[in-house]
Amino acid sequence: MLALDLFVNGLIFGLFYALMAVGLAMIFGVLKVVNFAHGEFYMVGAYTYVLCAMKLGVSPWLALPMAAMAGAVLGALVERLLMRPLYAGYGSWSIMKDEYAVVVTFGLSLLLVNLVDKIVGPYPFRGPALMETSRFAVGPIMLNGQKLIAAGLSLALLVGLALFIKRSLWGRQIQAVAQNRLGASLAGIDATRVTALIFAISGLLAALAGALLAPLINPSPDVGAFPAIKSYVIVVLGGMGSIWGAMIAALLLGVLESFFAVYVSYDYRDAFGLIILVAVLIFRPQGLVGERAREV
Amino acid sequence: MSTERNLWSHRLRSDFRAALAVVAVLAAVPLFASSPYTLGILVVSMYFALIALGWNLLAGFTGQFSLAPAAFAMLGAYTTGLLAYHLKAPLAIGIPAAIAATALLGFLLGRIVLRLKGPYLALTTLSFAEIARNVVYNSYNFTRGDQGLNVPSLMESRVGYYYLFLAVLAATLGMLYRLMRGKAGRFWLAIRDDETGAESRGIPVVRYKTFAFALSCAICGLAGSLYGTFSQLVSPELGLLLQTGLVIAMVVIGGMGTLTGPLVGALLVYLASEWLREFGGIQLIVFSAAVIVVARFFRAGLWGLAVRR
Repeated sequence: MLALDLFVNGLIFGLFYALMAVGLAMIFGVLKVVNFAHGEFYMVGAYTYVLCAMKLGVSPWLALPMAAMAGAVLGALVERLLMRPLYAGYGSWSIMKDEYAVVVTFGLSLLLVNLVDKIVGPYPFRGPALMETSRFAVGPIMLNGQKLIAAGLSLALLVGLALFIKRSLWGRQIQAVAQNRLGASLAGIDATRVTALIFAISGLLAALAGALLAPLINPSPDVGAFPAIKSYVIVVLGGMGSIWGAMIAALLLGVLESFFAVYVSYDYRDAFGLIILVAVLIFRPQGLVGERAREV
Repeated sequence: MSTERNLWSHRLRSDFRAALAVVAVLAAVPLFASSPYTLGILVVSMYFALIALGWNLLAGFTGQFSLAPAAFAMLGAYTTGLLAYHLKAPLAIGIPAAIAATALLGFLLGRIVLRLKGPYLALTTLSFAEIARNVVYNSYNFTRGDQGLNVPSLMESRVGYYYLFLAVLAATLGMLYRLMRGKAGRFWLAIRDDETGAESRGIPVVRYKTFAFALSCAICGLAGSLYGTFSQLVSPELGLLLQTGLVIAMVVIGGMGTLTGPLVGALLVYLASEWLREFGGIQLIVFSAAVIVVARFFRAGLWGLAVRR
């Protein structure tokens, strides 16, 4: 029953991927740019969690919301300092706004990785687990406590986010701005505040993903690179900018990768997602779910 | 008078002259400082200058924002390296083969991404770069993975290598100037500024976009191939995304869409990074901060600031 084990573990990883990718999808939905520093939100979350828990002696359960706060603040700062010119108009960059976004977020990614490398050190840390448990088996499925708690929390967060977007006033404002920025502002929605909110949420979710995984991945300064690349694949697969698409695609990628690594090739498991990305962009640029489902 | 001086062809000419002046200064350096260390640093910065010029042709002149320049340098280096390692091919075949292979790959990639723009193009080229590095890294039996390949050297002399890189750099600048002054350059700029408009005026957009891709990738491939024979070792690290980040930093800091900008940017960033190394590895922090500030506040880069009228 290896297949069942792979399926469940793939789904769990899919949940973590979703936490990362949903924020990226929301940013793309509202600003139509890719945030190349998204992996560094994740890294900052992982480091905040580990450093708070180890150096300050804070309980891991308290370090988790602190990491989330750090991510939210970072996201809001990025929006305020670097993303404003994208929609507030900024000389000739308004023609090449895609290029501007790539350059600044790429630069920010390098900056954050090297700042952490310099200040904290290049060595990987081992984060404290939320709960000390050993590995155990449920039928054929191998699990450990940390992974299970992290997966449960991710699921709760994702459901909460979905309800927030669907039901709350702010969530509806986000949907409106994603559909038509000008139209939304004409209807009295503060599009600038919505964009800041989007960045804060996406920083918060990515940082939480990093904090939840910190005990499993041993964060080092460049730890954000892989989850970031996975999120690009997911966002493309789910149809750029669609939250629901991103959630479905994240679970799909988690499961596919887990099977690919065992049955096809372990060495090329990271190239696999990228090949999917290129194939989707060329043959089905609207993503698997398609334009109709693009609500945010 | 001032309108005439502001004409694109005039600005291009003064741009080219400034680039040649930089090359002339570089040519005089070995007369004063001939320590192997200094020359080595300058050779590496000229390697980066070549890639920066290649990437600038695509991103700065044609508006195709690729994230794969370092990957093409790696592919060029590996073409030469693998030919020498497996077939014992001399470098006289290996280096032209690297140009041809990267030009072909660039042509194919250019065809594939033809319809993609902005973030979609950036993501596809980024994936291509990472797939290429992944394949090189994991095909241990063929490429020896992260152990790298030993490559024969072209010549013993450091000064010889220095002038070889300088000659290639000057030739690339000359070729780019010729192209930019002629029909191709006008077409590329038109495509950058308004692709649909260019198409509607009868410009063969497809042909010129793929041409720019193939040429840009071939320049990167040649740079990588020469660098491989210089360091006598090629490894997948040549294609790291970090290297692409450095190239982008160089071009943006120097000034995108010019000839002197990428050249000056590459020299400045690499020399400064050697200098900053003494202060405890803060060079990447300084550059990434610099590239954000330049992109945010001085879009035209240092060269753009220098020639602003």
